[in-house]
Amino acid sequence: MAESTAPDGQDSAIFGLPRWVAALLPIVLLGLLVGGLFATSPMADLDNRGAPLPDVTITHVTLPSDETIVLHAVNNGPDAVTVSQVLVDDAYWNFHVEGAGGDNTIAPLQSAKIVIPYHWNPGWDLGTALVLSDGATIHHDIIAPQVSPGLTAGLLWTMVVVGIFVGVIPILLGMLWFPFMRTMSSRALHGILAFSAGVLAFLAIDAGFEAFELAGEIPGAFEGTALVSLGILGALLLVQSISAWREGKAADGHDAAQSGLWVAYLVAIGIGLHNLAEGLAIGSSFALGRVSLGAFLIIGFMLHNVTEGPAVVAPVTQEERPAWWHFAALGVIAGAPVILGGWIGSLAYSPTLGAFFLAIGVGAILQVIWELRGLVAREGRVGTATNLLAFLIGLVVMYATDLLVVL
Amino acid sequence: MPSHDYESARERTESLSSRLVESLQAGSSVSRRTVLGGLGLAGGAALTGIGSADSDGDAGGGSTHGNFGAVGEYQDVRFDPHEYLTQFNTGESGQENVPQRVYEEDGRTVREFELTAVDTTITIAPGVEFEAWAFNGQVPGPTMRAVEGDLIRVQFQNLGRHAHTIHPHLRNLDPNMDGIPTNGPGVLETGESFTYEWIAQPPGTHFYHCHSLPLKEHIHRGLYGAFVIDPDPERVRENPRDYVNYHGPMTDDFVDDLVARAKTLNHEYAENDDVQELVMVMNGFDTNFDGDNEVYAVNTQAFCYGVGDTDGKGNWQPSPNGTIKPIQVDGQRPIHVHLVNAIEFDPINSFHTHSQFFDYYDHGTTLHPTDKTVDTVMQCQAQRGRIELDYSTHDPGLYMFHAHQSEFAELGWMSFFEVV
Repeated sequence: MAESTAPDGQDSAIFGLPRWVAALLPIVLLGLLVGGLFATSPMADLDNRGAPLPDVTITHVTLPSDETIVLHAVNNGPDAVTVSQVLVDDAYWNFHVEGAGGDNTIAPLQSAKIVIPYHWNPGWDLGTALVLSDGATIHHDIIAPQVSPGLTAGLLWTMVVVGIFVGVIPILLGMLWFPFMRTMSSRALHGILAFSAGVLAFLAIDAGFEAFELAGEIPGAFEGTALVSLGILGALLLVQSISAWREGKAADGHDAAQSGLWVAYLVAIGIGLHNLAEGLAIGSSFALGRVSLGAFLIIGFMLHNVTEGPAVVAPVTQEERPAWWHFAALGVIAGAPVILGGWIGSLAYSPTLGAFFLAIGVGAILQVIWELRGLVAREGRVGTATNLLAFLIGLVVMYATDLLVVL
Repeated sequence: MPSHDYESARERTESLSSRLVESLQAGSSVSRRTVLGGLGLAGGAALTGIGSADSDGDAGGGSTHGNFGAVGEYQDVRFDPHEYLTQFNTGESGQENVPQRVYEEDGRTVREFELTAVDTTITIAPGVEFEAWAFNGQVPGPTMRAVEGDLIRVQFQNLGRHAHTIHPHLRNLDPNMDGIPTNGPGVLETGESFTYEWIAQPPGTHFYHCHSLPLKEHIHRGLYGAFVIDPDPERVRENPRDYVNYHGPMTDDFVDDLVARAKTLNHEYAENDDVQELVMVMNGFDTNFDGDNEVYAVNTQAFCYGVGDTDGKGNWQPSPNGTIKPIQVDGQRPIHVHLVNAIEFDPINSFHTHSQFFDYYDHGTTLHPTDKTVDTVMQCQAQRGRIELDYSTHDPGLYMFHAHQSEFAELGWMSFFEVV
C-alpha cells in the first residue's frame, strides 16, 4: 500500500505516511479531540448554567376505547424529561407511562405512551397536558375524539379489501385500454404518455405538499423538512440509478433492457410507492378512527386511480404485446402497495413514517416523469401542443377526481 | 388530636388481604380490590373520587373511568403541610426554623421572630417542583401568633436574589412599617436587614406578604403567611362593642358570652386548649408562566389532605409514605379553621364543606359570625376569615372539603377531614 500512487502519478505519501494512514489521520485526530474535550472540559467557563428547554411532542393520540386515552409522546430535547402529572380538561388525572423503561422519565429521542383511564364522550373535544417535573406543561388537544379501532384481524382484512378496490382493480381496469391504445397513432400515443406524466405530476405535487405539511407534525429532533427532502431526493436518485444501470445494459445490447416494458415497470414501481403512501394514509386514518370509509370515498379513490392504469401500460403500446402475466404483475406492483401501506398505517402510524413514505413516492414519481419524457423524446418532439395539452388534462383530471377523496 | 396509627393499619390491611388472597387463589377470580372491599377495614362514608383508585394497575373489578387526583406521593419532606396546619409561632414556642422569643418591654409583651427570605425549590404536586421565594424556606411562611395589643417584632433579612419586603395586613399605625417599596426602608436588597414592628391588632386571622414589585410574582412565588391575633378577654370586657356588630342593649350576660368566646380564641387561656385550630392558606402556582395556576392547594401541596388510595367505596388508605392523608379531627371538640386566600391570577377562591354547615367570621375580627350556617364561603385575594365547624353529631368518617371552583378542586384544592 505504501508504494501505491495516486492516479495523477504524484506520490500519495503525506509526511512520508502510508496512504491509509493519511486517510484515517483526520478521523483519529477528531476522536482524540473529542475525548480530550470530555476529559478536560475546557469549555466549562463558557457554560452559563443554562438548561435546555424541555421539548416533548405528542405525535398522535390513540383511543382504544371510550374509557382510555393514549398519548404518544416523543422527547426531542437533549435532556430526559419526567412526566410527573397529567391533566385532562384542567383536572389532575390518573395515568401511567408505557415504554419509558418502567418509570415516568422519557430519555432523549425516546418515545413513550401515556395511558390515561378517562371516560370521554365521542365528539367532545378533550384538552390534555403533561406536567413535567419542573412544572412545564405540554398541551395537546384532541378534537372530536372517536374510538380508534387499532390493529385487529378484521382491520387487516378490511385493508386488504380496501386495497384491492382502491389500488389493484382501478389500475387493472385502466389497463384494459391497452388494446385501444395500440390502435392509436404515434401522436395520440405520445399524448397518452404526456397524460400519464400529467397524472404522475399531480400525484407528486399533491403528495409533496402533504409530506411537507405532515413534516410539521414530526417531532423536532427528527428534522421533518430535512427528512422529507431526503426522502424525495433519495428515492429520485435510487430509481434514477436503476434506470441508468438499465440504460447501460441497453447500450451493451441487452434486448430486454431496451424495451418499453422496463419503463412500464418503473412507472408501476413509482405509482406503487405512491400508493403505499396512500394506503398508509388510509390505514392510519382508519386506525385513528378519523375516517368513515364510505362508498363515496372508495369510488373517489377508484376514479382517481383508474387513470394510473393507462399510465402504467402506455410505454409498451408500440411494442409487441407482453405476456399477460406482465400485466398482472404491473397491476399488482402498482396497486397492491395500498394494502401494505394500509397495514403499516394501522399497525404503527406516526407522522414521521407517513411523511417519509410520501416523500419516497414523490421522488420515485419525479424520476418516472423524467423517464416518460425520454420515451417520447426517443421518437418525437416532447413539447408539442398535443403533449402539453394532454399533460394539462392529466393534471386537471387528477385534480378533479382528487376532490372526491377527502381523508 | 388523637393519634391514629396509619402505618400499623396499613400493614394489617396488607397482611389480611394477602392471607385472604392466598386462601382464595386456587381457581378463584377474585381480584385484590374485591378482597380489600370485602375486608371493609376502614369503613366510612361514601366517597366521590380522590386519590389513585388504580395504583396497582389492576383494571378488573373497579371503575375503568379513571380517577382524578395526583399520581404518586410526595418525596420532599422538608415541608410537611400536615404539621403546618397546627404550627403556631408565639415567641414562646413554635417551629425550630423560626428563631423567636417573647419578652416584656415598656409594659407591653413583645413577640419577636426572625424571618429570612430565601430562594428555594418546593414540591407542589408529587414530582412537580417549583422555584419559590420563601420566608424561612417554607411556603406558606411561618404562622405568627400574638395576643391583641402585643408588639410583633420581626427581624427580617433578605437572602433572596430579588428585593423583598414584609407587608402586614394589620392595623399598623406607623407608615414606615408598612413594608412597601415607597416607605420606611423600602425594598430590602439582597443581604439587607430590617426590623419591622407592628402592634397586634385587630384580633383575627390575618395575612402578611412581600409587597415588592411586580406584586403578582412576589406573592405567588411564595412570600406570604398568616397571622393569628387572639382577642384579649379583658379588652373585650371593656369594649365589647368593638368585637361584635350588635346594636342592642349590652347586658352583662351578653358581655360574659363575648368574653367566654374570646377566651376560646386566646391561646393563653385554658378554654382554648380544647379547640382544634388549623391554619389553611389557599394558594396556587403558575408553573408554566402563562398567567394561570397549574396547581391549586391549601398549604401548597396539591391533594395532600386527600386519601392516598381508595376503592371509591369508602375503603381508603393514606399514601404509602403518609404524605397524602386526610386531616384527622376529633368530632367531639370544636374545630377552628383559619382560612387565608393567597391565590394569585384568579380573583376569588372558596371553601366548601360536604355534609356540613359552619359559622364564618370574616377576617376573624368579630366574636359573632358574619355568616351563620353556610357551607360555602368566598374569599377574594388576601381575604381571610375563621371557620368554626362542629362535627359532634356526625358519624365518624371522611368528610370532603374543597374549593367550589371545580377547576381549582380538580387541580389540587381538594381535601378531607377524617372525623374520629
